Amino acid sequence: MASPTPTELDPSSELDAVADRGPLLSRESQTLRFLLSNEFGLIVLIAIFAGVFSLFTPGFTSPFNQFTLGRTMAIDIMIGFSMMVVIVTGGLNLSVGAIGVCAAIGFGWLVETLGLPLPMALLGALALGATLGTVNGILIVRSGLHSFIITLATMSIFFGVMVFLTHAEAFRIIPPEMSAFGKMRILSYVSPLLLISIAVGVLLTCLYRLTPLGREMLAAGAKAAAAELSGVRIGRTFVICHSLSGVLAAIAATMVVARNGAAIPSMAGGLGQDWLLPAVLGPVLGGTLLTGGRVSVFGTFLGSAFVTTLTNGLLQFRVGEFWLQTWLGGLLLLAVLIDLARRRYLARGGRRMA
Amino acid sequence: MSAALSRVLQADWFGPLAIVIVATLVIGSIEPSFLSSFNIQILLLAVAVNCVIAFSQMIIIAVGQMNLSVGAIGGLAAISFAGMMQVWGLPGPLAALAALAIGAAAGLFNGALIAATGISAFVVTLASLSVFKGINLGITRAQPFYGVPESVKAFGNTTFLGPIPWLVLPAILVVVAIMHLLNRQVLGRHILAVGGNQSAAELSGISVARTVVWTHAISGTLAALAGIMFVARLQLGQPSIGDDWLIPSFAAPVIGGAVLAGGHVSVSGTLLGVVIVAIITQALVIFRIDPFFVQVVLGFLILWAVGINRLREIRVERVLGRI
Amino acid sequence: MRRSDIVAKAAIAVLGMAALSLPAIAAESTKVALVPGGPHPYFAAWEKAGQDAMKDFKLGAADYRIPQKWELSQQNELLESLLSQGYNAFLVFPGDPVGSNSTVAELTENGAPVIATAGCLKEPTTALFCLGTDTGNSAYLGTKELIKAMGGKGRIAHFSGFLVDPNTQLRIDAVEKAAKETNGAVKVVQVITDIDAPEPAEEKINAYLAAHANEVDGIITTAWIPAVVASNALRKIGDKRIQMVGIDHDEVVLKAIKDGFVHGTMLQNPYGQGYIGSFALDKIRSGCKVKPDAPFKTIALTNRFIDSGTVFAGKDAVDNYVASMQAITKEIFANFASTYLSCP
Repeated sequence: MASPTPTELDPSSELDAVADRGPLLSRESQTLRFLLSNEFGLIVLIAIFAGVFSLFTPGFTSPFNQFTLGRTMAIDIMIGFSMMVVIVTGGLNLSVGAIGVCAAIGFGWLVETLGLPLPMALLGALALGATLGTVNGILIVRSGLHSFIITLATMSIFFGVMVFLTHAEAFRIIPPEMSAFGKMRILSYVSPLLLISIAVGVLLTCLYRLTPLGREMLAAGAKAAAAELSGVRIGRTFVICHSLSGVLAAIAATMVVARNGAAIPSMAGGLGQDWLLPAVLGPVLGGTLLTGGRVSVFGTFLGSAFVTTLTNGLLQFRVGEFWLQTWLGGLLLLAVLIDLARRRYLARGGRRMA
Repeated sequence: MSAALSRVLQADWFGPLAIVIVATLVIGSIEPSFLSSFNIQILLLAVAVNCVIAFSQMIIIAVGQMNLSVGAIGGLAAISFAGMMQVWGLPGPLAALAALAIGAAAGLFNGALIAATGISAFVVTLASLSVFKGINLGITRAQPFYGVPESVKAFGNTTFLGPIPWLVLPAILVVVAIMHLLNRQVLGRHILAVGGNQSAAELSGISVARTVVWTHAISGTLAALAGIMFVARLQLGQPSIGDDWLIPSFAAPVIGGAVLAGGHVSVSGTLLGVVIVAIITQALVIFRIDPFFVQVVLGFLILWAVGINRLREIRVERVLGRI
Repeated sequence: MRRSDIVAKAAIAVLGMAALSLPAIAAESTKVALVPGGPHPYFAAWEKAGQDAMKDFKLGAADYRIPQKWELSQQNELLESLLSQGYNAFLVFPGDPVGSNSTVAELTENGAPVIATAGCLKEPTTALFCLGTDTGNSAYLGTKELIKAMGGKGRIAHFSGFLVDPNTQLRIDAVEKAAKETNGAVKVVQVITDIDAPEPAEEKINAYLAAHANEVDGIITTAWIPAVVASNALRKIGDKRIQMVGIDHDEVVLKAIKDGFVHGTMLQNPYGQGYIGSFALDKIRSGCKVKPDAPFKTIALTNRFIDSGTVFAGKDAVDNYVASMQAITKEIFANFASTYLSCP
């Protein structure tokens, strides 16, 4: 199952190979490598679209809009991270939304019913997320089944147990400082939630770049068999990836709780399915390979940021209400095509240079 | 003898079939009305439509990709079908053909974009999902089309030979066609080859681009057919048709033993996967499970079904290993 | 990562200063946004209601703006965006009675009055009041009608909407309550939920009727699509023994009532909600206040509830249901300002 499907491979792999060439990186090829990257493409796209939106819609650059944009972005980025850490293994975690809702409701129960102080309840929510993620991981590793099918089932189970226990009742007596945090505006433009996402992004980057565990995750994802030979305990590593995914989903969930001022079962739709789209869009646009083994934390960050900016701008544009999705999908396609064209162009230039 | 037995045990369809038989016997003995002719009719209806949805995804899984826009194409075809009959007064068969063409065109669009640019199918169909769903909402403004002619309604709601709904006919045609395609046709072999190992397929002279485009066109056509069948069954063109297809479309092929990485799918396994999900859904209703607990039971049953299948596989592997 | 983000933010900030900040709050004419929870046929009447209100009360705008999906987060994003676009008054169907409160609070903090419309927000809320259908009461009254039609005894099946919608629990309780009042003569034997989408509704309702049709005497549906699917199912079975009371005004349900397969339906008043709501928002913006001692009703979610009217429509009332809803709208509208508002 772990064998990579060539058709799902990033179209730029060949181009990246050009950029990756050899250890003797001259400064030019380093620049080229950056110019060829997904990250650079996304930065360009965000800049183009943000520019267009600021020029043509009066509301886009208003402090309030920038603040809400940042806040939505922060949550989507975190959801994207939660999926990303599992995509690294070449799998998917369909239950991110369900884990998120469980963590949020767990948090609500801890503060409202048990009356725990805020930090304890937050820790409890993260622990719950980690536990549910670990359950996923162990089931996947032990059964040898694809994560898709296991998380499809656990999505139903986690969410179902939550709905069964709460009967869809919300927890709304959460600490006022929590909801105040959701409304807080730094310099009237920036939501503190965005800073949390940035911080988590930095930590994740350190994990993959600097720690042996992070490198093991990448190695296990890239080629499970080879990694095992070289001493990586695949099973353990996969379980840790899923636990991490659970923790990140729980962080995203507590951010939603801060934003909504309540822990509500409907925050991610039935079975938590509403999270799936933002969860997958960010990593995939950001250049994380669905087949595993390669990750771009910054790319995921930018990918999620790009999609939220696009949605926000389109809402501002007042395109025919019902047609909004068509525009969004069309622009996404256009963006991907522009990015592809850019890389092809640069790569041609790069070959000539080399 | 033992070789034949092990071949049967090894087949993709064996595990799911065993589950179907056991489940039918257990449920039927507890609740005899499960085997009533009306209930069988309802079960067949559910299986007929859902298996077309599942095949629409399965064919894409076979080529090693995913089609996230199956539901969006199905929904668009559904409302186009109903809309053409209501607004333009087209007769049912003509409208159905046009809707199938729309589905095929949508699939071609996906396939052509994937083949021409090399962007992953996941990304392309994720974006086109929005495009198609947006067109659907733009046309309908979330209002259903009601002008479905009596003949179409009758097709979706009457039976022949006792409890067999007419809607089973298109489903059977699809099953036969897909089996024929994958087992006997050049295109089918190409699809599996590309799904199994793209570079090897390319080296052996298969046009990957053409194969991918065709596969997506087939997937789009099947999704459209499922949408049309749903209109006939529901008797109106609901804009929300297709919104919830994604997960079931994957569940059935995977339960049926499809390899998500491509190259290996099972038509009979997928069909049985659909039957399993339908039986589970129905059993939950028949046994009056607490509505708030339905999801939990459903999740465990999926785990149980795939778990059994997996255990069998392991056991077969072990037995074969010993031989 | 940090550096480039700061750069991006700075660029945006500069652009922001170039464009003038929020023109929204300063605008003088009332611009109403009518925002449902997602695409749904129930709300179609809001569009017309907004247009009529704009003409009749000379509003700056009264636009029907719709989230692309039934997702709380999508609705929140739309509302935030509309505020940035200069809308200064909101009729909102809360995507979640609890979870929408924070966004509504944000709107009111920015000077835009909000009325929870068609569905209510749970107290405490900064919305002015709730103008809508008392979902629990509607289900209760519908069940009463059903029980009457069943001759006061028998077994009821209840088909309802999404589990994550707290209204679903209110409806389940209300149906149960109406049944309990018969002292055991009527029993709710089955509740099927999570079927406000065509595929699961079709599958589960038919499966249930296939196995248990002869064990039920009445069906109550408290969500749009289950009402449609159940109407069709009863027509298909062709059995007029089973009584059914539906909800809302889908053509399929209305036709089934006319043909005698369905006993009747609980109508709601979306047009009146949009029309009267827009009017009230304009008044509030021109300086009126909500009377603290206004005769609000109290329902499960809120003690500031104004009933926009819910009526049972049987066979005789189906044809002119539009007229009857307009009559109710007129009736509420005639005394609305004097009853609920105090104006300078």
